[in-house]
Amino acid sequence: MNMERTSTIKRDDGLWLLERMRLVRQTSQRIAKLYPTNVMETPVHLCIGQEAVAAGVCRHLGAVDKLFLGHRTHGPALCKGLPLEKLMAELYGRTTGCSHAFGGSMHLIDVEHGLPGSSAIVGGSIALGTGAALAAQMTGQPFVGVSWFGDAATNAGVFYESMNFAALRRLPVLFVCEDNGWSNVMPKSAHSAHDITSVAAQFMPTSCADGTDVLSVYDLAGAALRSIRAGEGPRFLHCKTKRWMKHQGPDACDLPDNGIDRERDCPIRKLEAFLAKAGLAQANEFSALEARIEKQIDAAIRFAETSPFPSTDLLEV
Amino acid sequence: MPWSKFDSNHEAPKGDRTLTYCQAIREAIDQAMCHDPRVFCIGLDADDKFGVFGSMSDLTHRERVIGTPISENAMTGVALGAALSGLRPVHVHLRNDFLLVAMDQIVNYVAKWEDMFDRQVRVPLVIRSIIGRGWGCGAQHSQSLHGLFAQIPGLKVVMPSTPYDAKGLFFEAVKDDSPVLFLEHRWLYKNTGDVPTGIYTLPFGKANRLHEGGSLTVVAPSLAAMHCLVACEQHGLDVDLIDPRTIKPLDLPTIVASVQKTRRLLVVDYDFPFGGFGAEVCARVTEAAFAHLDAPPQRISFPDRGMPASGPLERAYYQTPDRLAAAMRTILEGGCVPVGAANELSTR
Repeated sequence: MNMERTSTIKRDDGLWLLERMRLVRQTSQRIAKLYPTNVMETPVHLCIGQEAVAAGVCRHLGAVDKLFLGHRTHGPALCKGLPLEKLMAELYGRTTGCSHAFGGSMHLIDVEHGLPGSSAIVGGSIALGTGAALAAQMTGQPFVGVSWFGDAATNAGVFYESMNFAALRRLPVLFVCEDNGWSNVMPKSAHSAHDITSVAAQFMPTSCADGTDVLSVYDLAGAALRSIRAGEGPRFLHCKTKRWMKHQGPDACDLPDNGIDRERDCPIRKLEAFLAKAGLAQANEFSALEARIEKQIDAAIRFAETSPFPSTDLLEV
Repeated sequence: MPWSKFDSNHEAPKGDRTLTYCQAIREAIDQAMCHDPRVFCIGLDADDKFGVFGSMSDLTHRERVIGTPISENAMTGVALGAALSGLRPVHVHLRNDFLLVAMDQIVNYVAKWEDMFDRQVRVPLVIRSIIGRGWGCGAQHSQSLHGLFAQIPGLKVVMPSTPYDAKGLFFEAVKDDSPVLFLEHRWLYKNTGDVPTGIYTLPFGKANRLHEGGSLTVVAPSLAAMHCLVACEQHGLDVDLIDPRTIKPLDLPTIVASVQKTRRLLVVDYDFPFGGFGAEVCARVTEAAFAHLDAPPQRISFPDRGMPASGPLERAYYQTPDRLAAAMRTILEGGCVPVGAANELSTR
């Protein structure tokens, strides 16, 4: 555990990061608990263990900034501002879901909070964040594009095509690689002959964060976004994190040599330890936060359960 | 930037002003960019000295013309991302075949984005693409593939055959809040016709009767429509020639009404035969007007194989107005033309 961590982070920011990571963690845990009852008829790619990346990056994004996600959506979407009840209702297939029951777990949207949609084909949304950045540059509007993807997406041509174009035009885009080390059940050693950061570095300045340490992500994402907003062109942020769960579904990762130590690698424990040691928060605040989020999740599930299913009339052209 | 004020039932003008098909498209792009600052053009070689065969030469707003690397797939995603961020991109491809490099983005992203999110966001994206053929261009530079794209929900497929249609349909495409595939045929680029000077739109899903007749309905889009028109005029055929203008949406009522009058149908489609536009029109007409048909609906298409390169093979592979006229005459006399029958190259 990184007990020697030093950071100039303020209490407000630290508590925000903790609250979002807990929201993602506890929501994911609840989904995992309910999933076997088949109330959610949609494949779920949970973010347990990876919460630091979502919270650390999104703390620096405003509602005007446009974030394009892949299939592992819940964490970054919640951190970007997607209301929890709209996520749960979407998972439950209800009309009150963020995508009005047409998207499911992998296709979340929240226009108001700068989430113009997410995609389940690995890699493709890298180009969309780049396109949003092109729009920002062409119109002079003060927003950035954010392309969010996993380590396996760096094997897709669209990754190179997008970075190349962004670098050529110095677009205001942040490429976030949430590297959990697995392409489904294939380890990175089997799917990537390249070193991800080294490849990206041929196109733009890069930084490499500890994706299990939210303060590391927060610091480096902040620096990258300050450069982008200053008109210095695209930046690449590599966040090495750990996927505690299977690629899809409610079960824990059972792959051999997954290198996960839940005591050592937990981003929430790390931040709580830091906040306590730095005197920014007390242990009783942590338990109160946990309880408050549980109530929030209860309410979101009630909302989803009591929302209507869509009418099949909607399918008529 | 309201586009709706240009909606009208413009009749094709007479003696107003003559432009080539290429000039009509260039003028439409230029006027669209001048009228609406959200419109920009992007694509491989979009900004080079050749100006996409002249269709983008000397545009007023050069700063909104963006040349790209050979990265069609990502660039389609870039155009989509820009469309989702308030702009109205026109993504241009020099050859239709290049669209296949971008199939993931076109089919999985562009076409699906509105449906996946119940239209909370719109995708005002025009994908221009030019169909080529001839001079040994061969199997990878001569495809049309409008039937393939029309099969995908979420894509409109537009195929203008005249300068007047090209300009009016282009404005309709730019005005549309959803994705439009705008397919131009390179062999139409030098054709001339009367074109209004201002902005006007032609509605999608409204066919154009190019030739009036009572004994056979021929449905043909794009270059095939022009070849059929020449066949009808030069050979004095009693053919009702319908140019659908848009593959999707399809003006089925106009086609069905014509078949109810002529009681025969031929679809001439410069695309592959299997499951294509010709098959779709034949199926739809059979469903809607079976009792009115005196003969099985028939199709003429490319042979079911890739395009050859050598001159003699090309001349056998592709239709000509004379061969089309012979086929139409066969049908008018009660005969049948198997798919691709007018071609000397057999289907393997």
